[in-house]
Amino acid sequence: MKKMIDQFGESMKTARRWRNASKAAIAVSALSFVASCGRDAPQDTWQPAGPNAERIDNLQRPVFYVAGVVGVIVFAAVAWSMYRYRDRGQAIPEQTHGKPAVEIVLTVIPVLILLGVAIPTASTIFKLAETSDTEMTINVTGQQWWWEYDYPAVGSNIEQYGITAPIVTAGQLVIPENTKVLLRVTSRDVIHSYWIPKLNGKKDSVPGRVHLLRMEGSKPGIYAGQCTEFCGLSHAYMRMEAVVLSRADYDKWVANQLEEYTVPEIGTDAAAGESVFIQQCSRCHQVNGLKNSDGSLNIAAPEQNLVSGAAPNLTNLMTRNTFAGASWDLLTPECRDNVWNASSADFGERYLAGVSTECLNQKDLREWLRNAPAKKPMYADPTKLASTGGLYRGMPDLGLTEDQINVIVAYLLERK
Amino acid sequence: MITTSSKLFYGLGAVSIAGSIVWIIAHDGGALGAVALVFIAIALIFLGGIASYVRDGHVLSTDTEQHDSAPAAQRGPSHSWFPLGTALALGMLVVGLVTSPGIFKVGVALLLAMLGEWLIQNWSDRASSDPSYNERVRGWVVHPLEIPVGGALLLGAIVLSFSRIFLALSVEAGPIVFAILGALVLFFGSMLSIRRGTSTRVVGAVCGVALLALSVVGVALALNGEREGLTIAAEEDHFAHRACGEEAEESDEDAVRAVSAKSSVAATVTLKDGVLYAEMDGYSGPLTSISLQRAWNSSILFLNEDEGEHRMVVTYGKVVESLGGGVERETLLQACTSLVAKGGQQGVVVNIPKPSISSTEGFSITVPGLEGASIEVMVP
Ligand code: HEC
Ligand SMILES: [Cu+2]
Repeated sequence: MKKMIDQFGESMKTARRWRNASKAAIAVSALSFVASCGRDAPQDTWQPAGPNAERIDNLQRPVFYVAGVVGVIVFAAVAWSMYRYRDRGQAIPEQTHGKPAVEIVLTVIPVLILLGVAIPTASTIFKLAETSDTEMTINVTGQQWWWEYDYPAVGSNIEQYGITAPIVTAGQLVIPENTKVLLRVTSRDVIHSYWIPKLNGKKDSVPGRVHLLRMEGSKPGIYAGQCTEFCGLSHAYMRMEAVVLSRADYDKWVANQLEEYTVPEIGTDAAAGESVFIQQCSRCHQVNGLKNSDGSLNIAAPEQNLVSGAAPNLTNLMTRNTFAGASWDLLTPECRDNVWNASSADFGERYLAGVSTECLNQKDLREWLRNAPAKKPMYADPTKLASTGGLYRGMPDLGLTEDQINVIVAYLLERK
Repeated sequence: MITTSSKLFYGLGAVSIAGSIVWIIAHDGGALGAVALVFIAIALIFLGGIASYVRDGHVLSTDTEQHDSAPAAQRGPSHSWFPLGTALALGMLVVGLVTSPGIFKVGVALLLAMLGEWLIQNWSDRASSDPSYNERVRGWVVHPLEIPVGGALLLGAIVLSFSRIFLALSVEAGPIVFAILGALVLFFGSMLSIRRGTSTRVVGAVCGVALLALSVVGVALALNGEREGLTIAAEEDHFAHRACGEEAEESDEDAVRAVSAKSSVAATVTLKDGVLYAEMDGYSGPLTSISLQRAWNSSILFLNEDEGEHRMVVTYGKVVESLGGGVERETLLQACTSLVAKGGQQGVVVNIPKPSISSTEGFSITVPGLEGASIEVMVP
């Protein structure tokens, strides 16, 4: 009797274990199913939005399907063998080793499959590495923890796109639609990696090296990405966006970027902000055309203040709509949706409108100016810079008063 | 009972404890070293305790049967080269003290290694009455250290010998010699792997002879000195920055295509038919206006395809110093190669701190003495 009860208890335990296992299995598959439903995932490689990403997609889908079929066959075979040859107390069958026919077949089949994968893979790699058809070149530089873009006034950039003087921006890469852009990716400190999943694969940005990455968007819009090589404290806040504009809109963008500096009207908050900016900010941040009180050109000296030797160029801050490694919006949520969710026909106009006074996300920008390292972790404590010889990694807390912040916000609002 | 060998451990333990007290006094109460010494003492006293407990593994005098077969009754192998090694180490120690710290450090390392080996050898010789078992016991203790360290030393010797040979051979002969050597290694390796029966002794002998030959040649060539070009280059110090003007005369007769200069160049600048042009990754065609990154090292390679010796100069602004009394001194910020003969190549590395808008003249790459050979440099 006791034995029976024990046995019953055992089988109950087994049943419960099975039920727990199957519960877990259901949960996992449900989760992956739900995850696969993420239709508007902004960083989805399976939703290419340009020819380079499409090439990758055209390769990865068949490979994925082949691998899936092989995987199912292997799992089924393993499961069947486990069931069919489970231990039922039978004698151990004769053990044999080596069966040339099987070995050859099982070598040849994978070789054929791998060859079938290798040929299109190699051809895709070569197509993605093509640079001779470049129409526009942009330098992309990673540093802790933001991306700088500079549009050199060289070659076809001048002739075709009217970039007659270098344009320097941060966070958002702006490119014309259906244009073969070549990014020259590098870094000023540690290794980062540039990745806009909907437009192309990733490319490491390595200090001292220039890596080439093609970028082409076939539809106006904003495409999100993030640094994909762990690069220290705020790696998670090192995001970036590629903005694709129609050719006409792009020309307007370029013209706007090249506009002369507008001196704030005397007596306004912005004018007060300009002098605070010169005292507090221009040692790191360049604003092109800004003049010192003695009339000389104000040239920033980030190389004397920062490990990377660079801080975002703020000349046209309000033409971008995110800041600090594209981690926070410069637009309020409504205004943001208005731009991000615009149809491709409306997108350009809304993006080019930049950040207006009504649309400015005052909260996040003010928090940044009040105490940047509290918002984004950075090595910016002035008492702990011995190891870098007094240089910061990131923007320090400048101890600005609320009055100073008010006028600086007014000044920054005119930078577009 | 305090036996012979437990005496050693107890004694060492006592010294460690005394050492820890001395440490604390010497370091004003600092505890780190003392803690380590106390733990060493505990370990030693523990070992002493074991030695006491087993009475050093000695054989009772009444147990006559054991007199010949007990471990402790075995003679150790008579040939040991550890005394020799230790003597050598002591010699190096003394010589090193007077001559160079390098020899002294090697002596210390050798002394420690010898003493350790000697200690363990002696211990293992008496671990049992079976010499082959004793050898294995020794192996368990020292092989985890001996094999990696020995391997590293061996590898170091091979690498060092190879590099000496490379540095002594002429630029042309180097690749040929090493292609042949590589082929030979591959050939013998394949032969050995195909012929199943080859004894390890033969393989060992071949490798040993090869290693010996390699190190003898390496040492011989190292004593003989590096190839001429390298010695001249070292004397001329062609990496030093010198004056960039037309009047400067240092030239680099051996402007070689050094790998370090060629990897990750920002721009390759070529002088041909009196014209200067640049090539950069990611731009098609020759450029007469280039964009370089600010605040980062850019290495620029200069290639002279013209007759005569020329140098490339990168000019990126100027610094104005006030010398007091209203007098100012302007110094151009420049980096340049030395004179490079036709067909030669040389690189410079520049780190341009300021954007080009900071300079009224702009930045440029030029060749002194050649009017019109100029490239505009933009730095955003
Ligand atoms: C010590 C150098 C330093 C000083 C001084 C400094 N900043 Fe910054 N600032 C930075 C760095 C570095 C970043 C990039 C931080 C990041 O995103 O990781 C930055 C980012 C910013 C950004 C976001 C820009 C973008 O496009 O992403 C704004 C806006 C900004 N700073 C404003 C200011 C203002 C206004 C001041 C003066 C009150 C100022 N900063 C002073 C170093 C500095
Ligand atoms: Cu990064």
